[in-house]
Amino acid sequence: MEQFFSEIAASFERTFITDDRWLQLLAGLGVTVEITLLAAVIGVVLGFLIAIVRSTHDMQLMGRKCSKPSDYLLKVLNVICNIYITVIRGTPVVIQLMIIYYVVFASLREGIIAAIIAFGLNSAAYVAEIVRSGIMSIDKGQFEASRSLGFDYKSTMIHVVIPQAFKNILPALGNEFIVLVKETSVAGYVALKDLTYVGNLIRSRTYEAFFPLITIAIIYLIIVLILTFFLKKLERRLRNSDH
Amino acid sequence: MKKKIISGLLALSMLCTAAVSLTACNSSSDSSSSQPSASSTEAKVKSIDDLAGAKIGVQLGTTGDIYASDYEKEGSTIERYNKGADAVLALTQGKIDCVIIDNEPAKAFVAANQGLKILDEPFAEEEYAICVAKNNTELRDNINKALKELREDGTIDKIINNYIGDDTKGKTPYETPEGTDTSKGELHMATNATFEPYEYQEGGKVVGIDAMIAQAICDKLGYKLVIDDMDFDAIITAVQSGKADFGMAGMTVNEERKQSINFTDTYTKAKQVIIVNG
Repeated sequence: MEQFFSEIAASFERTFITDDRWLQLLAGLGVTVEITLLAAVIGVVLGFLIAIVRSTHDMQLMGRKCSKPSDYLLKVLNVICNIYITVIRGTPVVIQLMIIYYVVFASLREGIIAAIIAFGLNSAAYVAEIVRSGIMSIDKGQFEASRSLGFDYKSTMIHVVIPQAFKNILPALGNEFIVLVKETSVAGYVALKDLTYVGNLIRSRTYEAFFPLITIAIIYLIIVLILTFFLKKLERRLRNSDH
Repeated sequence: MKKKIISGLLALSMLCTAAVSLTACNSSSDSSSSQPSASSTEAKVKSIDDLAGAKIGVQLGTTGDIYASDYEKEGSTIERYNKGADAVLALTQGKIDCVIIDNEPAKAFVAANQGLKILDEPFAEEEYAICVAKNNTELRDNINKALKELREDGTIDKIINNYIGDDTKGKTPYETPEGTDTSKGELHMATNATFEPYEYQEGGKVVGIDAMIAQAICDKLGYKLVIDDMDFDAIITAVQSGKADFGMAGMTVNEERKQSINFTDTYTKAKQVIIVNG
């Protein structure tokens, strides 16, 4: 029994204390958080733009003939967005990451930029469809009422449709962020020192699977728990503003 | 009217982003095609002394990784890839300054990629051995006995010559003798088949020096050889946990590894070298 505990203690020491490995884990956590946050920003901004193009197209041109030049433009943009979503959702993120790192930005020395762009572009495709579903879920009557009160299309979108849509899509959006956090675990493929990578590094030095893997799993879980906590808080606050 | 302006604006902004990203793609691919020549004129690493402060590529968990990690204290950045080939690809694109890897795979990589060269001075000398789980001393002793016989009758030299050396390549392969008995069952070998000429994929099979020596050992011991291909840093764990009986992957004997597994006698010598653009 005593031997068992001393073995555990030795294994713990090898995993965390030797070579300041806990500092490496911390650094890995930093990289994971950095990639996730910046990718989420790209994903949300690009995702909203794509969703607005797609839903504007669906609401204004679906089943109608193009009558003015801007209609044709919108149609072309819609096709581009559609292709983008199809390609991004239809290919694995690790392949996209390697394409961005080895093909698109072949001369780029900073892998982290490639990772942020890859995960951001990937997330944007999913966010776009989530936001579009939110916009389309708002009753047409809201549009008509707003327009009849003298709001133009843009103000209707900003002041009437998007706020209501946002409340509807928040759970799905939260889902997407949680997936994003965990997806960044493949960043090690392009030699980035993210959390999973540090876990593998420690494993390759100590040849022990238990502590590194369990630790990494717990850290991811904690990140997701924190994220969920704030999302719930936001959701509650938005619901309270309902009357 | 306003609607038209808004959608027009939106359209314009999307077109702009598309155009910008397109030109970004172009410029980056342009610079990538000019990259090799640019980096070859200003190769950063010319000898071992230049490793301090350089961006060094390695394969995660290899001895090259372990040795190179000592340079982290001297300001070097170590980029650890899952595969040696990925590190070499990153080197050809100028993402890193050099790759530290075993000599024989290095030769294969340099032969396959124009504009790369191996520095003359070796980075480190080392010896390869087979790893076996600590509690399986019986298998270790049996392998040692087989290795000794194979070394004495010249089989191991023949196998190595079959893969290394321009004159002897492909001339002295090992063939399983007729009527070899495999009645004792299967022996699983854990390896990472991205390490020419020691182990690599050819026609959907893992071949190479290690695979051939392993076959010879299994024939001697009366087992059927089964090769499991996995990531290099997973091999020791696989052997430790009994998912594989032994690990053979150009694995260097070192103290850190000895704490987790047992090594057999060494079967060949090798060295770590530095690949650079040049």
